[in-house]
Amino acid sequence: MIALGLEGSANKIGIGLISHPSPDKPPIVLSNLRHTYNSPPGEGFLPKDTAIHHRTWVVRLIKQAVRQAGVKIEDIDCICYTKGPGMGAPLQSVALAARTLSLLWNKPLVGVNHCVGHIEMGRAITHASNPVVLYVSGGNTQVIAYSAQRYRIFGETLDIAIGNCIDRFARTLMIPNDPFPGYNVEQLAKKGKNLVDMPYAVKGMDVSFSGVLAAADLLAAQIDESLPLEKRLKTEDGEIVTKADLCFSLQETIYAMLVEITERAMAHVGSTQVLVVGGVGSNERLQQMMGLMARDRRGSVFATDERFCIDNGIMIAHAGLLEFKTGVTTKLEDSTCTQRFRTDEVFVGWRD
Amino acid sequence: MASIPTPGPEYTTHILPAPFTSSPLTLLAQGAEALVYRTTFLTPNTPCILKYRPPKPYRHPILDKRLTRARLLAEARVLVKCRRDGVKVPAVLGLDADQGWLVLEWVEGGNVRSTLDRWVKEGGQFEKLGESSKDGENKDVWEFMRAIGTSVGKVHDIGVCHGDLTTSNLMVKTTEGHGQAQPQKPSAPAQPYLTGDIILIDFGLATQTVQDEDRAVDLYVLERAFAATHPGAESLFQEVLRAYGESYRGGRAVLKKLEDVRLRGRKRSMLG
Amino acid sequence: MAAVRTFSLPHYPDYPIQVALFKDVKNATFLRSQLLEANADFDYAFIDATMILTPLHLLHPTFLSLHLALSTPPRLKSRTPHSEIIFRLHPNNNIGESYRKFGITDTTTSLIAVKLSLTPEITSESVAKHLGDVVEGTSVEIGENGEQLGEMCQVSKIRKVYKLGDGGKPKGKKGVVNGDADVDERKQMESVILGIMSVKGT
Repeated sequence: MIALGLEGSANKIGIGLISHPSPDKPPIVLSNLRHTYNSPPGEGFLPKDTAIHHRTWVVRLIKQAVRQAGVKIEDIDCICYTKGPGMGAPLQSVALAARTLSLLWNKPLVGVNHCVGHIEMGRAITHASNPVVLYVSGGNTQVIAYSAQRYRIFGETLDIAIGNCIDRFARTLMIPNDPFPGYNVEQLAKKGKNLVDMPYAVKGMDVSFSGVLAAADLLAAQIDESLPLEKRLKTEDGEIVTKADLCFSLQETIYAMLVEITERAMAHVGSTQVLVVGGVGSNERLQQMMGLMARDRRGSVFATDERFCIDNGIMIAHAGLLEFKTGVTTKLEDSTCTQRFRTDEVFVGWRD
Repeated sequence: MASIPTPGPEYTTHILPAPFTSSPLTLLAQGAEALVYRTTFLTPNTPCILKYRPPKPYRHPILDKRLTRARLLAEARVLVKCRRDGVKVPAVLGLDADQGWLVLEWVEGGNVRSTLDRWVKEGGQFEKLGESSKDGENKDVWEFMRAIGTSVGKVHDIGVCHGDLTTSNLMVKTTEGHGQAQPQKPSAPAQPYLTGDIILIDFGLATQTVQDEDRAVDLYVLERAFAATHPGAESLFQEVLRAYGESYRGGRAVLKKLEDVRLRGRKRSMLG
Repeated sequence: MAAVRTFSLPHYPDYPIQVALFKDVKNATFLRSQLLEANADFDYAFIDATMILTPLHLLHPTFLSLHLALSTPPRLKSRTPHSEIIFRLHPNNNIGESYRKFGITDTTTSLIAVKLSLTPEITSESVAKHLGDVVEGTSVEIGENGEQLGEMCQVSKIRKVYKLGDGGKPKGKKGVVNGDADVDERKQMESVILGIMSVKGT
């Protein structure tokens, strides 16, 4: 069976085709295309501009993806699209494209939960059978474990998402958005060495990043290079704190928080596997820290590379096809999208 | 803690700090935060729990030391406060904050999670627990839920929030002895396992606070832990909340706040 | 010869603890003067026996003192491991106050002497002999579990120094048989006191 997947919940539009040859064989990625909308430095991406971007690219990407996959339209079994969660306008523009294709080609629709897409793609790529999932992206921070036909959320952010925290931190320090803020923070952090105190907020299995962000604003003001030397922030040893030190401290603090709640969930459900998905999952320091934690527990970390870590159409096609095979489709009149769509709302009929 | 399964060889061996380095200890569990051992302290007849927080290799050493010390002391201070105010928690027998160990009184029993699992295993069905069953054959399990709510209320009442209320962190004390273990007669009938004292353990993330917000988050964490470990037990959990609301002045206000926290929790998934 | 009971603390089997108990002590002034002069022969923890509630109440600060003395570097807050025991008994961080409340005074008549066997020549015999020679009082035999430590305690004084208020006092709970009430109260007090001593100064 073959599915076409359309993803556009944030600033990336992704189109992918996947084939599920038979129940026991691994899925085959036929094509996986993506285009990213980058906002200027110091600014985030706005829903309206992002939607325009997606509308501009959607037809081109679909044509190219189908051509690259080398399949005929009649071979496609269903059209899968992101139902949510995400930003309203971009979601709508892509859902509209999905509906149009469904009518044009006379194919059934499957509305997919974005988070479930990440989880299922991660599982398929890494062969992690029943991992604790850390889902970290610009809009989501969740620790998830599967139980009784649901992906249950064990821990999550109490305020802003980790990616959002990093992006806004980068904006405060005027770090560029290209290729993406988290990447630039990561590169700068490699040059940092002094740990600056930042609020470390773990509450049970949940985390909070708003305190870190507030602290970042204050710290940024204290390291301003236009300040006289004696007024600049210094370490206990009298060294001047740099932008790189702040990036380093940010990463050390917030990733430790994530690893901690992931470990708590693993201990709670008795799992030794951890799967990291979502855009922030491509951060090497996070992967390294997660690896150290897992090693201590004699477990293992599964991570996907950025083709699948970062939002893409394949994951929507894959998760949609899994659901389609259990007999679930989304009727045209129900093919809406929603900004709020919790991971645990989805009935996972395709797992034991 | 007798019900905690003995861990298999998959656990990493940690070298304990002095004076426990060469002592023969029984590892009971590797929690996320701490390794938990059974041993004796001060006298050979004083069984205890040794909680060791090993350095986290993934964490920056400065951050790690700061967190370990602060959390260990916060935990100990909260436990001492609870005991002072007559709330049932394990007593603190000793500690070394710089080395990361804490010795606590031994509590005999299992946790709420395993107790509920046992109830299900013995034929209990969450789905069939209607309001009418409260005085019927399932009376015990409803009472059990109320005891949980009341215990959490007591802790909140003295100005402590647990910070990590899961079904594993609520113990059910099985033997009612006054410090001295009362050996159970082999011929004695099986003890009704749903009726023991509820003892809160693992105050590693506890804070001293009287804010309704913090209290509500405590309940929210517990609610989610219940939902995660015992899907289908939603109606039972309502009984925990009901008893909580009645357990101390201010309990009802916290339940009201809990509604806000739940809503806010759902708002979080707005962005994609 | 005085009666000495040797305690072996779990996890520190190589460092036995020698403990002797006396009543009707007549030369507290002399013993105290030797401490003040820092006479090395009198390097003991001399404790007012009315201030010790239970065996664990005594063994806790003893354990901690030994533990801190054996750390590298040593982490004692007072001059010797024996003065540290007195210091660790008090809820606050004031050494003078610790001695006034828990050490011996001129009017002390019941006394507990503690000596850590930090070196091989300190044995139960050497301690028994020396204490027998210098303490004028009646030596009290201590049982294997130290039950006698605590028999001379004055609960109200102990309650006051740890600011226990009514905490741990039995409130006529069901299940507490009358005869057990005292045991239960002490057990409750002990558990709070061990906690207080554990978190002190942190």
